[in-house]
Amino acid sequence: MGTLDYIWSGVLAVFLGPELFSLFGLPVSVTLVMIFAGFFLGIAVGATPGLAGPIAMAISLPILISVFGYTPDALLPVMGFLIGVMKGATIGGAVPAILFNTPGTPDAYMTTLDGYPMTRKGQARKALRVAHLSSVSGDTFSDIVLIVCAPFLALLVEGYLDLPEKTALLILSLSFIAAVVGGSPAKGLISTGLGLLVAFVGTGEDFYPRLSLGGPVLAQGFPLATAILGVLIVGAVFKELADIWREKRISGELTTIEDSGDQKLGFREIRRLMPHIGRSAVIGTAIGALPGIGSTLAATIGYTVGKARYQKTKSADDPDFGKGAPEGIAATEAANSSVSGANLIPVLSLGIPGNAAAVFLILAADSIGGFNPGPSVFRFTRDAVNPELVIAFGLFTAMFIANILNWTIGGVFMRSMGIMTRIPKQILLPTVLLLTLTAIYVQETRMDAIWFTLGFGVLGYAMRAVAMSPLPFVIAFILGGKLEESARQAFAATGGDPYFLFTHPIAALFMALSVGVIVLTARNSRAKASGATT
Amino acid sequence: MSNESRSNLILGVSFILFSLLLIFVWIPLDTDSGILEKVRRQVIIGDALAPTLAGVFLLIGGFILVVFERNAPDQSEIDLVNLGFVAMVVLLLAVSFLVMRYTGPALVALANLTRETPLEYRLLRDTAPWKYSGFFIGGTLMIAGLIGLIEGKVTFRTIVIGIVAVLAMIAIYDLPFDDLLLPPNGDV
Repeated sequence: MGTLDYIWSGVLAVFLGPELFSLFGLPVSVTLVMIFAGFFLGIAVGATPGLAGPIAMAISLPILISVFGYTPDALLPVMGFLIGVMKGATIGGAVPAILFNTPGTPDAYMTTLDGYPMTRKGQARKALRVAHLSSVSGDTFSDIVLIVCAPFLALLVEGYLDLPEKTALLILSLSFIAAVVGGSPAKGLISTGLGLLVAFVGTGEDFYPRLSLGGPVLAQGFPLATAILGVLIVGAVFKELADIWREKRISGELTTIEDSGDQKLGFREIRRLMPHIGRSAVIGTAIGALPGIGSTLAATIGYTVGKARYQKTKSADDPDFGKGAPEGIAATEAANSSVSGANLIPVLSLGIPGNAAAVFLILAADSIGGFNPGPSVFRFTRDAVNPELVIAFGLFTAMFIANILNWTIGGVFMRSMGIMTRIPKQILLPTVLLLTLTAIYVQETRMDAIWFTLGFGVLGYAMRAVAMSPLPFVIAFILGGKLEESARQAFAATGGDPYFLFTHPIAALFMALSVGVIVLTARNSRAKASGATT
Repeated sequence: MSNESRSNLILGVSFILFSLLLIFVWIPLDTDSGILEKVRRQVIIGDALAPTLAGVFLLIGGFILVVFERNAPDQSEIDLVNLGFVAMVVLLLAVSFLVMRYTGPALVALANLTRETPLEYRLLRDTAPWKYSGFFIGGTLMIAGLIGLIEGKVTFRTIVIGIVAVLAMIAIYDLPFDDLLLPPNGDV
């Protein structure tokens, strides 16, 4: 099969997959319906304060697997649904930030800076329109970069990287994620170390399951879902519950504001916003392509760069950034939305997840089987069909369908979701908690899984309480097994050379970069610390 | 948040101690093979290497925290009141799941008091209404309890919310699927 045949097969797999029903005589595939369903759920979840895309993914995954089973046919409907959720949640996240000054996710915080002042001026619907346009533009740009870059990067990795280099690349990814996520390299390293440690419990090649304390409970190791959902979702719910409990003592009432002025977005205004959207989309995509760097940093940089540019070009009457400037929303939303597509570049080309949504795509692929994200996906075999490559192009097609939905009906649906912000968090969070724990039990069918998840939830809360990002933990947990396996193979392939990471030039370069990135960020932290004390 | 906080120092020292304990005590005592092993005249990587690498990450992290980030600005301070609240949340969850686990068998034991041929919960775990009993009572206790904990009081409204939420979850996870088992029915 040629390249175009693979692309076409991927498109057909989405449109002509198993039929759910027919509309005017045309078959409607189940994947298409799942992308629609995921997209609408994503917007609703994103628009609900306290919820985010990963929560919806966590809750729906066991249901989806139960419906579609563990066959390769399940991959596109399930992953299409998750992609729909990811895309929908990206635009939905701006709703509570703009309407009620309550960012659902950390990256939406920058959106509140100009979005909420616009709402207070009676320009809420206009602010939502700006957010939608910027978000969808950034997202689409990022997807195009993903589709163009991921196969090339994967081919490059397959062509030039052998086992020692792949091991060194995994160590570099872990060091890089540890150093840059959360702003403290030390805490990032600790989070990574904990993730690796947990991944190695109960596993290994010996008859005795290592680090299992001699008992049967830890002998099987920790299921993937318990560690990921415990730290990411349950930990976040504990933190949120504690925050609203504290806030309750000093809570204020939300005031109702009536719309005033023109709420539409004219062509001249769009033309004014486009440079901010374009600049932030490039920033977000570049940042998103690096594993582990989330949308929060992209939003911050996009906003800061946009602000510096805006100050030079704005007229005297225009509001400043932070005082209700639509350009502020555009700079933020385009940057944080363009991260999501680019974040899949390391997932699909290297098998290294870069953010929580990517983690859930890997979890789905891992649970169903038949698709192992990594460089092997992009083998353009001519004599035999590579089914993983067809799935990859099917996923790209799903992303474009979700983008089309975003451009067409996403805006209207997003603006109608303001109602979700009225659900009280103290009702929502306990319900989400039981839903998540039930989802885990349904998947694992043993009470130990619930206890593990609660334990990881406490760990996730503790990490957040000491300002330690849980993302390096999760990524290290996922990559731990892969790292050990690739190190064992590389060691055997090099004839038991204990210095295999340093005797191959590219591997040695990756190792030097691993040390360099840690040393540089640690020195920066020290400089910041001494700057703060003087 | 303040840079007078010693939380980074305490955290760093704790992880240095933990990593040393891990590398020199836990791993050697709790793995079968060492860092490198000789098997059939071939040197292979043993089971102890990977966790030791994890320990090294923790050790370096703790070390950087103590040496470079000890005086970092905006260090988080542990809020004991919040910590107490989260402890209560965890306790409530633990109690709710224990209730969920043992309600079904307890109800069956009660029913057996009036029956000649005794029932066994294990055989009834996929039969309504028995299969819902633990999830319903434990789930309602959990949701109503958490809402009550945050609002400072348990009212009729919070119990109704708990019941409605649990019924909705039964409708989502159980009614449409024959092969899904609600907690605790998978391993009773």
